[in-house]
Amino acid sequence: MTIRRIPKIACVFGAFALTTVLLSGCTANNPAPSASPTQVAPTKVTLVAHDSFAMSDELIASFEAASGFELEILKAGDAGAMTNKLVLTKGDPIGDVVYGIDNTFASIATDNQIIDGSLEPINFADVCFNFDKNWFSKNETVPPTSIFDLTKPQYRGLTVVTNPNTSSPGLALLAATVSLFGDDGFEPFWQALKNNDVKVAAGWEDAYFTDFSGSSGKGDYPIVLSYSSSPAFEIRENGESQTQAILDGCSRQTEYSGALTNADNLVGAKALVKFMQGKEFQAALPDAMYVYPIDQSIELPATWAEWAPAATKSLGSELDIAKNRKDWLKKWSAIF
Amino acid sequence: MVSNLLRLRWLLWLLPLAFITVLFLWPVANVFNIGLSGSWWQELTAPDALDALWFTTWQALVSSSLCLLLGIPSAYVLYRKSFRGQGFIKAVITIPLVLPTIIVAIIFSSFQKAHEFYSDIGMDFFYENSIYWIIAAHIFVNYAITVRTIGGLWATLDPSTEEAAELSGAGRLRTVVSISLPQLKPAIISAAALTFLFCFTSFGIILLLGGGQVNSIETEISVAATQYLDLTKASALAILQTLVTLLAFSISEIAAAGKVGLEQIDTGGYRARLDRRDWPAVLITAATAVGLIAIPLALLLTRAFETQLGFGFENFANLATRGDRDLLNVSIGEAALNTLRNLVIATITSVLMGLLVSYLLSRRQYKRTARVTNRLLDIFFLMPMGISSVVLGFGYLITFGSDVIPLRSSWLVLPIVQSLMALPLVIRLIYPALMSIDRSHREAAATAGANQAQTWWHIELGIIRGVVKTAIAFAMIVSIGEFGAASLLVAGDQATLSTVLYQLISRPGSTNYGMAMAVASLMIVATLLLVSATSIQPKAFARARAARRQRRLTAAAYR
Repeated sequence: MTIRRIPKIACVFGAFALTTVLLSGCTANNPAPSASPTQVAPTKVTLVAHDSFAMSDELIASFEAASGFELEILKAGDAGAMTNKLVLTKGDPIGDVVYGIDNTFASIATDNQIIDGSLEPINFADVCFNFDKNWFSKNETVPPTSIFDLTKPQYRGLTVVTNPNTSSPGLALLAATVSLFGDDGFEPFWQALKNNDVKVAAGWEDAYFTDFSGSSGKGDYPIVLSYSSSPAFEIRENGESQTQAILDGCSRQTEYSGALTNADNLVGAKALVKFMQGKEFQAALPDAMYVYPIDQSIELPATWAEWAPAATKSLGSELDIAKNRKDWLKKWSAIF
Repeated sequence: MVSNLLRLRWLLWLLPLAFITVLFLWPVANVFNIGLSGSWWQELTAPDALDALWFTTWQALVSSSLCLLLGIPSAYVLYRKSFRGQGFIKAVITIPLVLPTIIVAIIFSSFQKAHEFYSDIGMDFFYENSIYWIIAAHIFVNYAITVRTIGGLWATLDPSTEEAAELSGAGRLRTVVSISLPQLKPAIISAAALTFLFCFTSFGIILLLGGGQVNSIETEISVAATQYLDLTKASALAILQTLVTLLAFSISEIAAAGKVGLEQIDTGGYRARLDRRDWPAVLITAATAVGLIAIPLALLLTRAFETQLGFGFENFANLATRGDRDLLNVSIGEAALNTLRNLVIATITSVLMGLLVSYLLSRRQYKRTARVTNRLLDIFFLMPMGISSVVLGFGYLITFGSDVIPLRSSWLVLPIVQSLMALPLVIRLIYPALMSIDRSHREAAATAGANQAQTWWHIELGIIRGVVKTAIAFAMIVSIGEFGAASLLVAGDQATLSTVLYQLISRPGSTNYGMAMAVASLMIVATLLLVSATSIQPKAFARARAARRQRRLTAAAYR
């Protein structure tokens, strides 16, 4: 009896391994077909967005009433991970429409033809250095006014940046320095920053909440790489923001939306892109996602106008970040 | 009759094998199928990959060795001796296991800051080098695993040998080194292997505490896959990682002769009270539990009560809202319910599946080939532990699309991945416990005419009940804390406490930060309750149960 049993277990085991190999071969070689035309008309539209996406229940209801589609939201990681997931599932997309592909990854999206039609800009954010006003007044030091100040000895050991390998504001700053100092000049600048004891954190959360002195984390570094809008969220009891952005050396991140190739509900997808460009959605952007609306006619909230103006000019928009980042990051990593 | 039973047994194998093949092997094989078409071999010999392999290996070795050094004395104090408040300490040291890595990283960044004095006394290298803090965080998380594994066996050892050694004049240290440690060898090796595995595949802690500048295999896989869609590199490294973890486990299995899992059967025997000669062990345990576990946790709790106006319950009151400017699309209550639902499904699935696999593995195999098959199956079910969660997440995306099994955008994906992650742990607990049941119990029942099902239900399951409870606790912990693979899938409106916490902490503003800390504290309290609930054994209750078990055994023998 026992003799008969052994091969059986082995057979089951082997059969499964074999099935796996066969199955993987089949699915990988034949990308899933797109929705067949005989399918019933879709009733819902699925939005793929990055983790920072936020849309109020009122806005969702408003879109659903206007379009007649039920809205489902899928979060798919940061902008880079999300774009790559969409490239990976191009034949059988995880949703109908995407929001949050930024200028860094836009070329990857278009090169891989994951967008049906074109990417439409929805909003932008300016990656800028922020400083803690209280710290500088307490220590009777003049706060920095420009990115060039950060390599000066009086600001030694006061700055925390994020790693461009692992954080999108970090990569935006790296691109800004490439734009500012040129392909040959950005390395000496970073070397000077390193010599001036700049701290590198892995992600924005870490840098802002643990190392920065002007936020709830009450860290040790009074200068942090964040966004020009962040001071609007550090308003204290006295009605003043504790932090301020340095509006030079900023890098603009524009975020786009677009219908996905092979989407089940292309009509709904296009309707949602239109809705995001509309006044109602645009006006809600600052409060919902801490970014500036692309529609310049929208009035910013009062606190923003006072404490968080956008940068007057920004760097890096002429660069193809996706193509060059591997090279820049290699050079950057060699310094740090 | 017998052959029917055997046929039934291999039919039973179909269920767990199908589970792991469809939900684990198939998606992973799909990723490898794309990735391994290119020059994957070169990726493994690239200098970056070799550096990452070297760092990952040595930090895992150092972390697990330190866990052993601190864990053995603690296992002695917490499991061999008895004193008031022991249960509470055991529960507290388990908490770090459940915390999402982003929280562990934030706690440890602040913890590191509290040690600035190192640079004042000229130990800059210690304060600034993130590798020390990565290792400290690994001990913070894995200490409980070490203590439980070793303590579990220690509690079941007959104390008379140790007592005899002491009577003939051996000091306590000498008794431990020459009498207890050799007996504990299987548990020590098991603990070392598990800790090594967890540190080897650690992702968030290395990424966040290393400032993105320290690269392990797992962080290299993640960057390659999510940022560059370089599936060749990701697959090559993922295979390497799986091979190393399986190798580590095979070595440990051979060294430990497969005798022990995370927790042995609790015999509930008499345990001596702490006495004065135990002070070195007490000192090490207290220093670790307070210095490395309690203080960092207290730091987190303080943050939860900190508000703009000093201390108060504001952050907890805010949990009733949707965050600063309605950031969240679900309320914390809904997220907690989703977490609870996932927890129930993941726990039931992994524990039932784990029981089934352990049962099938533990049946006696008289033939050599059968034992080999068994060993292979054992290793087979360990695989989810070693796989990179990024690869698994990507596998789900390309495998469970809208055609065959439209799973990838369903909420079910979370509890399924959680149960896959918990399954190896459950098997590691229950299988060795089943193996260590004295076969005379089974044989007595069989002689008395009990069939296999009756023996299993009345005898074996009764004996291992304590272990099953521990397995349930660990499965729940995995479910609450698992964030790696979950975050790499696509999360719909089914937010859980971990994802809500992550959303809150990725925005500026003190309200959101405070709420995130409050959510983390709630998770701590929930863990404390869960772990205590599964470990409390009132004396009277335990006695009554022992008596019942005895009656059952006797009845079975005479039936």
